[in-house]
Amino acid sequence: MNYPGPLLDIQDLSTFFHTEENIVRSVRNVNLTLYPGETVALVGESGCGKSVTALSAMRLVPIPPGKFENGRILFKGEDLLQVSEPEMQKIRGNEIAMIFQEPMTSLNPIFTIGDQITEAICLHQDKSPEEAKILALEVLKKVAMPSPEQRIHQYPHELSGGMKQRVMIAMSIVCGPSLLIADEPTTALDVTIQAQILDLLDELRKENQMSILLITHNLGIVAQYADRVAVMYSGKIVEHASVEKIFASPSHPYTKGLLNSLPKDKMNEELETIQGSVPHPAFLPKGCAFHPRCPDKMDVCAREIPELKNSGDSEEHRTACWLYNEES
Amino acid sequence: MLALQRRIMKSLLKVQSLKKYFPVYGGLLSRVIGHVKAVDDVSFEIKEGEILGMVGESGCGKTTVGRMTLRLLEPTAGKVFFEDTDIFTLKGKEMAMIRRKMQIIFQDPYSSLNPRFTVERIIGEALSVHGIAHGNDLRKKIERLMEKVGLSKRYLNRFPHEFSGGQRQRIGIARALALNPKYIVCDEPVSALDVSIQAQIINLLQSLQKEENLSLMFISHDLNVVKHLSQRTAVMYLGKIVEMAPTELLNTKAAHPYTQALLASKPSLDPTDRKRTQPLQGDVPSPLNPPSGCHFHPRCPKVEARCKTEIPRQIEIENGHTVSCHLYV
Repeated sequence: MNYPGPLLDIQDLSTFFHTEENIVRSVRNVNLTLYPGETVALVGESGCGKSVTALSAMRLVPIPPGKFENGRILFKGEDLLQVSEPEMQKIRGNEIAMIFQEPMTSLNPIFTIGDQITEAICLHQDKSPEEAKILALEVLKKVAMPSPEQRIHQYPHELSGGMKQRVMIAMSIVCGPSLLIADEPTTALDVTIQAQILDLLDELRKENQMSILLITHNLGIVAQYADRVAVMYSGKIVEHASVEKIFASPSHPYTKGLLNSLPKDKMNEELETIQGSVPHPAFLPKGCAFHPRCPDKMDVCAREIPELKNSGDSEEHRTACWLYNEES
Repeated sequence: MLALQRRIMKSLLKVQSLKKYFPVYGGLLSRVIGHVKAVDDVSFEIKEGEILGMVGESGCGKTTVGRMTLRLLEPTAGKVFFEDTDIFTLKGKEMAMIRRKMQIIFQDPYSSLNPRFTVERIIGEALSVHGIAHGNDLRKKIERLMEKVGLSKRYLNRFPHEFSGGQRQRIGIARALALNPKYIVCDEPVSALDVSIQAQIINLLQSLQKEENLSLMFISHDLNVVKHLSQRTAVMYLGKIVEMAPTELLNTKAAHPYTQALLASKPSLDPTDRKRTQPLQGDVPSPLNPPSGCHFHPRCPKVEARCKTEIPRQIEIENGHTVSCHLYV
């Protein structure tokens, strides 16, 4: 299970969608690595390309209209963009698994949850239906499903949102994947359930030496569960650092703005805001996509796109901003 | 500050033992086989110029309470007094008159605006329905409202789909303000918005509330937002208010085990302060078949024998701080 070097290495990935009217540049030259056993958070607002990045890694982007314009997605050294669809099906669900935001719609309503978990086992592993059933029960126990012997025969509508998300997690970990992509796994759940699910994911990660790519817009979750953080804006990673650095000394104006706009302990004071709103990915402004909203913009920002570069304090801390780019 | 405090002394909305049971039909003859007790004996009041935060998990009845205070739903039992008038006894014209003073802002800015109407018509509809303004006067009023919520009047003839989520929520707020209401129910107004936009809308609501001395019921599941905005907070669990206190007191001295758990499960923004103790096990039970006694007892870490049989009464443990829990009797 252990692989030397990065488990997932996304290099210069661009995923565009070609619609009739225009080209939607959802992911633009993204670089991201994940090492075994770590949690990397991909943070950003809706439409920033974080989900498309994840779907690209699973090769679940519909083609057409989607298209991988350039880049490589190396998983254990193999470029996922080059493998055939049958090979990809072997990897998907077996070595890379994904859980989605809405447990309500990601389960099939006409099969029992037992059927749905055993399906995943039988697809990827050489097991008889009886063995698969035992394994399914085991995995339900592992995700702390209450009374698993009864639940295994129930249909999704008989379960609560939190329990459905447990089933999704059970399905995704049953084959022992080395990478789990969790796309907003708790956004649809209540706060008390959210903590339970995230703790469960974190325990499973430690137990199985699994890596997690955690996609979220909730900065509290990032602070609590991630090792490293990549902040996305309009299809680009604008800042990348360890979780401590991001919260203690953010450098990109967008990251700073995001952190400042959260309600803090001071009551009744006006919140700091980022003016304006996110540009449409089909009509990105020239230069740095954030410049129309940036409080620190300079002339160069409207002309050229800044590269993701070291912003000083540590090797890992990289920022795509002209403020930190010397040769402007 | 003193002047402000004096101003908020007067009570605007008083809710007494409000209940709402939704019947559940089943069986061959579709008979009533049970009730969902969405709201079960809830009492509180909102003073003039006050923001009351209403917190709870999905299905706890917070939205149902909000809608009943506007008479968008008829209660099963209980009373709602708005400016000392029992709103459920009013008919026709009288109700229409009082409706002008109360408004609602919805969670989803995408589905709560009519896609076939222009911004002008959406904001101006209430003004023309109530016969308050026509023609040029109406247009001027609409432009003033748009300015107030930070929308350019160039957008007057645009349709909702041409706006982003944050701008749509501004349209919804302008619509709610059109009739100069005294009381607005804000039902999760920022939870569908992105973080950077959320702050803009929160600031807008806050400044409008101060300017117009509005009373707000701010319904949300986000404790940080409620803490930031509201003077008092009520916590609901399965149709009941389990704790109510001035917001600061509630955040520092939460008394009910459920409130304590809610506060503890809120992820901290400090990566060096990582907690891995789950405050609560299990799920929220179904309101169709709530547990006996205190509804919270199956999940409560401090459960005692009588919690399983007796429903706890609401008691005041400090000035303005009420809690329904056997621990404090």
